[in-house]
Amino acid sequence: MSEQSTLSPPAPRSAGVPPRIGIWLSYGNLLRWMMAQTGAMLPFVIVVQALLAAGIIIGFGFVIPDIDTSSAQFLSTGTPTVLLMFIGLVMVPHSVAQARTTGTFTYLRSLPVPRPLLLMADLAIWLLVALPSVAVAVVVAHLRYGFGYSFDWPVLLTASILAAVTATAVGYAIAVSLPPLITQLVTQVLVFFVMLFSPVTFPASQLPTWFQAVHDVLPFRAAADLLRAGLLADTYTASWRDLVVLLAWCALGVAVGIRALTRRN
Amino acid sequence: MGGAVLEVDNLTRRFGAVVANDGIGLRVRPGEVVGLLGHNGAGKTTLVSQVVGLLRPEDGSIRVAGTDAVAEPATARRAVALQPQAQAPLDGLTPKMAIEIAGRLRGMSRADARAGARALADELDIGEWFDRPATPDGGGLSGGVRRLTAFAMAAVAPVPLIVLDEPTNDVDAARRRRLWKVVRRLGDEGAGVLLVTHNVTEAERVVDALVILDHGKVVAAGSPSRLRGSSDADLQLELSLHPDGEDPSESLAQAPIPINRRVRVGRRVLLTLAAVDAEAAVAWATALRRTERIDGYSLAPATLEDAYLAATSSANTNTTTRTEDAADV
Repeated sequence: MSEQSTLSPPAPRSAGVPPRIGIWLSYGNLLRWMMAQTGAMLPFVIVVQALLAAGIIIGFGFVIPDIDTSSAQFLSTGTPTVLLMFIGLVMVPHSVAQARTTGTFTYLRSLPVPRPLLLMADLAIWLLVALPSVAVAVVVAHLRYGFGYSFDWPVLLTASILAAVTATAVGYAIAVSLPPLITQLVTQVLVFFVMLFSPVTFPASQLPTWFQAVHDVLPFRAAADLLRAGLLADTYTASWRDLVVLLAWCALGVAVGIRALTRRN
Repeated sequence: MGGAVLEVDNLTRRFGAVVANDGIGLRVRPGEVVGLLGHNGAGKTTLVSQVVGLLRPEDGSIRVAGTDAVAEPATARRAVALQPQAQAPLDGLTPKMAIEIAGRLRGMSRADARAGARALADELDIGEWFDRPATPDGGGLSGGVRRLTAFAMAAVAPVPLIVLDEPTNDVDAARRRRLWKVVRRLGDEGAGVLLVTHNVTEAERVVDALVILDHGKVVAAGSPSRLRGSSDADLQLELSLHPDGEDPSESLAQAPIPINRRVRVGRRVLLTLAAVDAEAAVAWATALRRTERIDGYSLAPATLEDAYLAATSSANTNTTTRTEDAADV
């Protein structure tokens, strides 16, 4: 190394606070950053989604012998919701818990961007990861039972996006509120609750009345019914009430997430 | 205000019963590299976390580039670039992308960010890995290259204050020197740099001023030569004792030369003495060694290390320390 420096002359540096940069520029760069981190696992996630979809659609079919078309349709159109909930309530918390353990979470919070943008970037990335699972479930069900769909595209799109974002926001909120180890346990329990104790893949009428009332305020049946109304528009209709319940959970998850990002302990 | 880019006054923060920061005060002026030294758990990272708005102080004030960082943490964050002690999240990114994104997030143009990333990669000699993505679980890029990339991410944009928390961990010796050169350049360009480290010897070479923390308190502060408390011509005689052996310098009266300061750390004893006494010191140490009262010795220019150890000795239970003025001997 020569003693002579080959650097360009020093740029004058201001001692004042640098100006704020545009929010979209910040957001775009955050997305690039997080996409590089999460994007690599996208193909892997889609394969896992396909396996899970097959597991639910074909596997639950074995549980119900001589399944009729309406039951098969109900089961199949509940599957996208299970997959979205799985991503939001298991994969997202796992990823956030890991980020907290490795210091990534802290690192991102020290960046010169408004901290709520960090959650918004996460929501966008996970939405991208989650949405293909709706298509995967639809295709797997069609291959297995061969029934046709009657899509209501606006309802289907709204329901898919809202369910995915809500699940992600709630999963994020769980992971930032609980210690990482507890987060893992809670999310495992939650996914069982969604698969076996929620009227997602079977009609709510099979549950005791009091438990139906519980599910009226939880996001799982609401998400499932909305998505179903988008997939089988001839048979099921979307309810405003379900939309409001989902929006409320989404807002709650986002609020808890933003609070954890902005709060100084 | 004195135009400092970082002004910390009476900063206090507890975790339960532990006082992590106890009335800390320090200044970093533009163009100044300030070393923040201390043992593990001295409160260095707690201090840094409050500067970037991750923790809220219980008492005291922090001003970053003139902004009240406690009241307006989001504004203050724009004026600080932090390289944290933990690795930066690089998985899936190449060093090039990571450094460019870091620059873009601080308002650099695409062209400036690209040029800045390239220049830093050359300065730090990481060009070989510049376009190689880091993969999860530590793959793709080594820990040292990741650390250098994180350093470049903090150094690329022209911010008033740069905080580096142990920047040379995992970095090889040749690239450490390059890193220190960049740190010095950042200071010369007018940035204030707060350098958090427990590596006294390395820090001594680059810093303009030092602040030594111990148990959450500032126990010493000033320029390296002032902290050394001796002229640059002073020497340090290090005696290595036998395990369980007695210390022949226990009583300074036994030494045939005036000792400015004596610090003992485990089996090592560091004695600071004037250069004119070098010959007598070597004769004494050689005699001690010949009679097997010590295991070995070395004589070198005085460093900050003994001053640092003396200042923080209460943190180390294996240490017995005594500081004497030469006049007393």
